[in-house]
Amino acid sequence: MVAPSATLSTLNRADGSASYQCPSTGSNILGSVNAPVELPGRRDALRPEDATIEVFVKPGTAPAGVGERYVEGILKTLLGRVILGREKGYPRRGVVITLAIIGGENVSRGDPYLILLPALLHTALLALLSASVPLSMTFSATVLAVDAAGQILREPSAEDAATAQSLHVLAFSSKGHLLLNESQGAFDLDTWEKVRQRASAICHGTQLVSADGDVAMAEDVDGRPLEGSLREMVEDQVYRDYNWQINAA
Amino acid sequence: MSSPLVLLPGDEIPSEYLPSTSSAPLRLGAGLRLLSQPHPTTKSSSTPSHVLTATQAGILSTDNKRNAVSILSSPHRRYIPTANDLVIAQIHHSSPDYFHCMITPQAPHAVLGQLSFEGATKKTRPMLKQGDLVYARVLSTGLGAGAEVELACVNPATGRAEPGGLGPLNGGMVFDVSTGMAARLMKASSSSTGEHQQEGVAGLVVLDELGKKLEKAGGFEIAIGRNGKVWVDCSNSGDAAVKATVAIGRCLTTLDQHELTAADQKKLVSRVLRELKIEV
Repeated sequence: MVAPSATLSTLNRADGSASYQCPSTGSNILGSVNAPVELPGRRDALRPEDATIEVFVKPGTAPAGVGERYVEGILKTLLGRVILGREKGYPRRGVVITLAIIGGENVSRGDPYLILLPALLHTALLALLSASVPLSMTFSATVLAVDAAGQILREPSAEDAATAQSLHVLAFSSKGHLLLNESQGAFDLDTWEKVRQRASAICHGTQLVSADGDVAMAEDVDGRPLEGSLREMVEDQVYRDYNWQINAA
Repeated sequence: MSSPLVLLPGDEIPSEYLPSTSSAPLRLGAGLRLLSQPHPTTKSSSTPSHVLTATQAGILSTDNKRNAVSILSSPHRRYIPTANDLVIAQIHHSSPDYFHCMITPQAPHAVLGQLSFEGATKKTRPMLKQGDLVYARVLSTGLGAGAEVELACVNPATGRAEPGGLGPLNGGMVFDVSTGMAARLMKASSSSTGEHQQEGVAGLVVLDELGKKLEKAGGFEIAIGRNGKVWVDCSNSGDAAVKATVAIGRCLTTLDQHELTAADQKKLVSRVLRELKIEV
């Protein structure tokens, strides 16, 4: 399993940006965040104490359609729970997140959008971190496909997803809460429970409680937990930005 | 000094990293918040009832003298006005009582009183037009949602332009840098006046070096705004004024994009001056 890679603050003019590649699903997403900005009109009238979050998903070759509207809704709900919209400077302002799908297989109209969802979520998170938007926690997400034999496949390609019985996207916060659960296709509750356990292991690693009560993070078939990879991407960028200070100290 | 602690949103700050010396209350800076009792299950006498968590990704920075703690986050972030910051604002339009100024794009206008300049009265006040620049201090950011940011070019208590240099900026040119670089430049220029250090403050020697090299050409004036603007004026330089302004701008923007050591910064200055054919 090849770990995803990302670079932060790639765009010059945006407040925060991230470019994210996921080799297993072949997706390549460029995200930008502008926050806090003044929104035209008075769309914030319903919740004047909070920031308004806007998400735009732009497919590479086609104009945005129903599928994009659908994931925009999912992203907006999840990010709305993580962004602290009441911090100084944010109430009544907008957090505008734009995600462009610039590589990989395009999702044509009517195809499942769930394969791309974890990549979109990770890009949005990294771009928000790069823009220093206050967040209550971070999260990591993964997509799993269950085939006809009941085998769970991690981060399926478009062909695998087309033949799968069901597709599941799960996101876990850095504190271990289940933040998002989107499923598609036919499955029973036992299957879902297995999927949840596997997804939790992918995002956080398997927790092994040893005899003395210590909790150790183990690496298994899924390689490094996603949580750790994302943290490393951000730490790399922080070290690069503050090189001058770290060297001086 | 221990290795820097990099935090992500939601991470708790270990108590051994907090300044512990004084009895004064701890000051929380940007990127941190105080939460009470996150683990009601882990009850032990040593567990504090409150916990500090990060809300932004960055390096934890502590100041033992002021007993303050904050997070240094991404230097490319958008500027959020904070009281007492020095900013370079551009006049957008004026109304009978106020100038409406832009501090950052796509943000609501900040107001600057027509009379909040040094020595301004109803009869003698600066007539600023659209597009003019002012160097101003953020007086207040207001309370609650949608409050207006107020600027002033004068200390309301003394009626003087404190610290010096506040007021309209005439001539010169403005360059955009990142907010992190602006903060670094301010830190470097505010402490270099006191004690002189060989290595430069905050790893910056570029301004000292430019000052030395351009001294013969007439020197330059510079104003740095926390909102990521740098104003440069070389009007004393005569014929070389435009060239010198461009040279300073190029040095600053290059430094912003690439991480350079002190030696590389000196090389950069000589290279830029040579390219622009400025006599040193």
